[in-house]
Amino acid sequence: MRKWEEEIAAEAMGQRLNVEGLLVYFPYDYIYPEQYSYMVELKRALDAKGHCLLEMPSGTGKTVSLLSLIVAYIKTNPTDLTKLIYCSRTVPEIEKALEELRKLVEFYAQETGENPNIIGLALSSRKNLCIHPEVSKERDGKVVDGRCHSMTASYVRAKQKDDENIALCSFYEDWDGHGKEIMLPYGIYNLDDLKEYGRKKGWCPYFVARKAISYASIVVYSYHYLLDPKIAELVSKEMSRSSVVVFDEAHNIDNVCIDSMSVNITRRLLDKCQNCIQVLERTINNIKETDSVRLREEYQRLVEGLRGASIAREADVLLANPVFPDEILQEAVPGNIRNAEHFMVFIKRFVEYLKMRLRVQHVVQESPAGFLKDCAQRVCIERKPLRFCAERLASLLRTLEIADLSDFSPLTLISHFATLVSTYTKGFSLIIEPYDEKTPTVLNPILHFSCMDASIAIKPVFDRFQSVVITSGTLSPLDMYPKILDFHPVIMSSFTMTLARQCILPMIVARGNDQVAISSRFETRDDIAVIRNYGNLLVDIVSVVPDGVVCFFTSYLYMEQVVASWYDQEIIQSIQKRKLLFIETQDAAETSLALLNYIKARNMRCSITLGKVSEGVDFDHHLGRAVIMMGIPYVYTQSRILRARLEYLRDQFQIRENDFLTFDAMRHAAQCVGRVLRGKTDYGIMVFADKRFARVDKKGKLPRWIQEHLKDSMCNLSTEEAVQICKRWLRQMAQPFTREDQLGVSLLTLEQLQSEEQQKRIQQRAQQA
Amino acid sequence: MEALYVEQHGCTHVTTRESMEDQVCPRCKTTKYRNPSLKLLVNVCGHALCESCVDLLFIKGSGSCPQCQIPLRRNNFRIQLFEDSYVEKEVDIRRRILKDFNKSEDDFPDLREYNDYLEEVETIIFNLANNIDVDETKRRIEQYKRDNKDQIARNRVRPSQEDLELEEILINEKELHELRSQEFVKEEKKEKLRKMREKEALIDDLMFSEGDAKQILAMHSIKPAAKEVQQRTETRKPATQFSTGIAIGHKGSFVPPPKVSEALLYSYVPPKVTLCGPDVPEPERLSSDGYLKHVRQADDASMASGFRTDYACYRALQEAFIGLFFFNRSDPLEMDTS
Repeated sequence: MRKWEEEIAAEAMGQRLNVEGLLVYFPYDYIYPEQYSYMVELKRALDAKGHCLLEMPSGTGKTVSLLSLIVAYIKTNPTDLTKLIYCSRTVPEIEKALEELRKLVEFYAQETGENPNIIGLALSSRKNLCIHPEVSKERDGKVVDGRCHSMTASYVRAKQKDDENIALCSFYEDWDGHGKEIMLPYGIYNLDDLKEYGRKKGWCPYFVARKAISYASIVVYSYHYLLDPKIAELVSKEMSRSSVVVFDEAHNIDNVCIDSMSVNITRRLLDKCQNCIQVLERTINNIKETDSVRLREEYQRLVEGLRGASIAREADVLLANPVFPDEILQEAVPGNIRNAEHFMVFIKRFVEYLKMRLRVQHVVQESPAGFLKDCAQRVCIERKPLRFCAERLASLLRTLEIADLSDFSPLTLISHFATLVSTYTKGFSLIIEPYDEKTPTVLNPILHFSCMDASIAIKPVFDRFQSVVITSGTLSPLDMYPKILDFHPVIMSSFTMTLARQCILPMIVARGNDQVAISSRFETRDDIAVIRNYGNLLVDIVSVVPDGVVCFFTSYLYMEQVVASWYDQEIIQSIQKRKLLFIETQDAAETSLALLNYIKARNMRCSITLGKVSEGVDFDHHLGRAVIMMGIPYVYTQSRILRARLEYLRDQFQIRENDFLTFDAMRHAAQCVGRVLRGKTDYGIMVFADKRFARVDKKGKLPRWIQEHLKDSMCNLSTEEAVQICKRWLRQMAQPFTREDQLGVSLLTLEQLQSEEQQKRIQQRAQQA
Repeated sequence: MEALYVEQHGCTHVTTRESMEDQVCPRCKTTKYRNPSLKLLVNVCGHALCESCVDLLFIKGSGSCPQCQIPLRRNNFRIQLFEDSYVEKEVDIRRRILKDFNKSEDDFPDLREYNDYLEEVETIIFNLANNIDVDETKRRIEQYKRDNKDQIARNRVRPSQEDLELEEILINEKELHELRSQEFVKEEKKEKLRKMREKEALIDDLMFSEGDAKQILAMHSIKPAAKEVQQRTETRKPATQFSTGIAIGHKGSFVPPPKVSEALLYSYVPPKVTLCGPDVPEPERLSSDGYLKHVRQADDASMASGFRTDYACYRALQEAFIGLFFFNRSDPLEMDTS
C-alpha cells in the first residue's frame, strides 16, 4: 500500500466529486487539491479529444485520480470514449494499477448498489501467464514463447491429427474449442486472477487475455505492446480509435521508442544467421522432395500479391512486422525473391555483405542512403527487394511450418534491419564500431543501426488514438516532449504539491569547507580536492541524518574511481563508523541483493546505497531520508550514437545539443532525488552537489514541485552551511505530524473541496505550462 | 578486480585469435594469425587461395583450381571479399549477367511482367552458380542478348531511377553536413568574441564607472542570462535546387531520359455501325429515290454555314431505322446475323 493511501484511507468511504459537470466516484475520503486539478485538466483533454502532458509529483496519487476520472468518463459518455489503455513500465507497477482499479470498482458497486459492468485486465508475456505444468517452469521468456508456439501453432495442430506423438498444450486446445467465444465475466483481473481463471476453466490465460483485450474497457500492459512495432502489430492492432492511451512514468518514453526501433548487429549474430540459413535450406530441400505443393502454393500467392490472406489465425504468431509503409502491404513481392531458393541466396548474400562490413578497423558512420548504395554496388542488392525482406522471410517461415520461431530470431532480426534500412532514409543512422567502448583493445565489431527520431515509433499511437496522456512525476521541462515526440498536446500542465509543512529540503552545495568548488565537470572530476570534498560532504550528512542516506553518482566508472580514492583518504572508514555501506555494482543480481540487504538494514537505520538505482526503487520514509546527487548525470557524450542523435535533433527539431543534454541530465537528476519522497507525510533532504546546478538553465529544468522549495539562499552553500540547515530542518520535521494538520490545506474533504475559496485556489494552482 | 582483469585479458586473446583464424588458406593452411600479411585471392570459381600459393601454382599464367579443378587464369585473381566462396562466385556471375539484363521497371507495361522478368534473371544466375543446365542457360543468355541489343546498350548509359534517388539523398546530406559545420565554426567564433567583449566591458566598467563594484558585477552576471533567451535565428539553407527539383549544377539527371515510344503509328479505321434495323439507303440514292423531297430544302444562308439537305435527310433516315430489330437480349451481334 502506498504511503499516501495510508494517510487518507483510514475509513475508506470515498466520495462523489463533481469535476466540471462530470460525476466522479473517488474511492477515498479525502482528496489532495492537486489530484482534483489533475482530474480537471485530464477531463478537458478528453473533452477536446486531444493529447496531453501532465506532470504531478510522485506519491500524490496520480494513478487513482487518472483511473477514477477516466472510468467515470467512460461510464457517462460511452459513445465518446470506449476504452482505457494504461501502459506502465514494470510488472509490479501494472499490478499496483490494477489494485487501484479494483478498489475503485468496489467503491462503485458499494455506492450505486450494482456492479459496474467493467472488464479490466492486465496483459503480460507468456512467461508471466503460462500455466502449462512444464513450460511455465522455464525461466527465460524467449524459451517460453518458443515452446508455447511449438504447441499451439496451427500447422503443428494440423499435423497432430495424423501423428499422435506430437504434444499439444491442453489449455490452448480447450480454449480454442470452448473458450474462444466466451467473454470474461465482468471484473478486474490481474495476472494472478487470470491464471486462477485459466486453471479453473482449463483455458490458457494468455490467449484468454489476448482475446479479452479487444472487448475489455480497461487494459493494463507494458509500453512495448504499443510502442514496439513488432508486438504492437500483433496485439494492439484492433484497438478502436475512441480509446484513451495513458503512458505512466513516461519520463523516459523517448528512449523506449528509440530502443524499439534500433538494431545492433554483431559478428556472433551473423554467425547464428549462417546456421539458420543452413537449416532453412535443408528444410526447403526436404520439402521440395516430399511436399512441393506447399512451396508452389506459396509461390503462387506471392505472385498474386495476396498478402494477409493466410494470416489472421491468432496462434500463428510471427515475430515479424516492423512498421511497413502502406505500399508494401499492397504490392506484390518483387520477382527476384519470389522463389524460396532465390530468397535464400538473396539473404545469404546480404549476410555475407554485412560480415564484410563488420570487418573494419576504424569507425564508420553512414546514412541509410549510403548503405543502400554501397550494398547495390557490392552485392547487387537493390532497395526494393530489401524492403520486402521481413515480409518474405515471415512468409517463408510460415510456409515451412517452422514451429519454434525463437530459433530463427537472429535471421528475423536481420530481415527487420533490411526492411528498416531500406524504408527510412531519414531519422536513422548506421554506425560501425570495431571496438567496444569499455574494451578498446579487443576487436569486437558492432553495427549499430540506431533510430534517432523517437517520433517514428510513437507516431502510429498518436495518429490512431483520440487521446494520449503522457504523465510522470518528472517531465520538466514540459515543452521538450512535444518537440522530440513530434505531437501537439492540447493540455500541458505541471502540478505542484500542496504541503502543510515544508517536507522537502532541496539544497545546492557548491563548495566544500575549503571553499574549493565541487563539480563533476570533466576537467575537475579527477581533482583530489573535489573528490575529498565529496567525501566530506557525505561524511557530514551521514553524521546528522538519522535514517538511510542514498547517494547517486553520474556513472559507474566515476563511482569506482571516487570510492577507490575514498579508501585511501579514509573517508570510507569514517562513514562506516555511522552507517552500513552498500555499493551497487553493474551486476543486476548483486545489486538486487545489495538492495535487499539495504532494506533489511533499515531497522538499523544506517545505510547508504551508492549507484544508479534511480528507476523503479522507492526509498520512502526511513529508507531514504536524504539523497545526495554527486554531480550532474550527463550521458557519455563521446558516444557516436548519441552524437548522431544530437545532430539529428538539431537539424530536424531545432533543439540545441546543450539543451537536450541538460534536459536529459536534469530529468535523471530529478528522477533520482524524486525517489526520496513518496507521500506527504514523508520528508527528505535533496542535496545537489555540483556548482553547476545553481545555473539558471539547469535549475529551471527541475520539476516545479522541487523548484518551489529551492530558494535562492539555498543555491550556493558550502558543506558546513548545508549541514547546519539540515540539522535545523530535521529537528522541525521530527515534530509529530497528524492528519488534522494537513486537513484543509493539503488534504481536503468533500465539503472543503466544494467551498468557493478552495475552488478558486485550485484554479490558480493549475497553472498552464 | 585482479581476477576480472585476467578474465578479460584471457578473453581478449581468444577473440583475436578466433577472428584471425577465420582467414585460412585452404592449400597451405596458413592463417592470418601466423602470417599477418596474408592475402586471400579468389578467381571465378570463388575458391580462395593465398597469394603465395597463387604465385606457386600459376607460375605459367594459367592452371586449375586445386579445389574444383576448373581451369583458371592468373590475371583473373582478385582479393576475396566474402567468406563464403559460393557467394563470391555468385556475386561475380551476377555482376556479369546484370550488365546485360539491365532493364528497369519503366521498360515493362506492368509490375507483373517486370517481376516475371526479375525472376527469370534470378533463375539464370541461380542456374549458373549451381551448375544446372549451364549450356541451356548460356544459350538463353545469348538469345536475350541478340534480341535486346539496342535496349541493353541504351540502358547501360542510363542510370536507374533508384540510383538517382539515392544519389540525390546523398548529395543533400553532404550539403547539409557542410552547411552545418560552417555554421558551427561561425557560431563558435561569435561566442568567443562575445565572451571576450563582455569581459572587456566588465573590466572597463569596473575601472571607469563610479558605482558600487558589487552592483556592476551583479549587473553583468544578469546580462548573459538575458542574452541566452535571445532568439536564435535559424540560418536558412541556401537554395540547392530549382523549383522543378533538379539540383543546381548537377549534371547527371538534368534532362530526363527520352522515352522511346514503341507503340504503332495511328491509322484510321472507319467505324462500323451496327444499326439493329433495316439497311439505310446509300447517300448517293437519296436524291434519285426522291427522299430529299420530304425534307426542308436548304436555303442560301444555311448553305453558307455548311448545311446540306442530304446530310439532314440521311441522318433522319438513320434515326428512323436504328434499333427497329432490337430485342432485349444481351448480345446485339446475334441479332444482326438473324
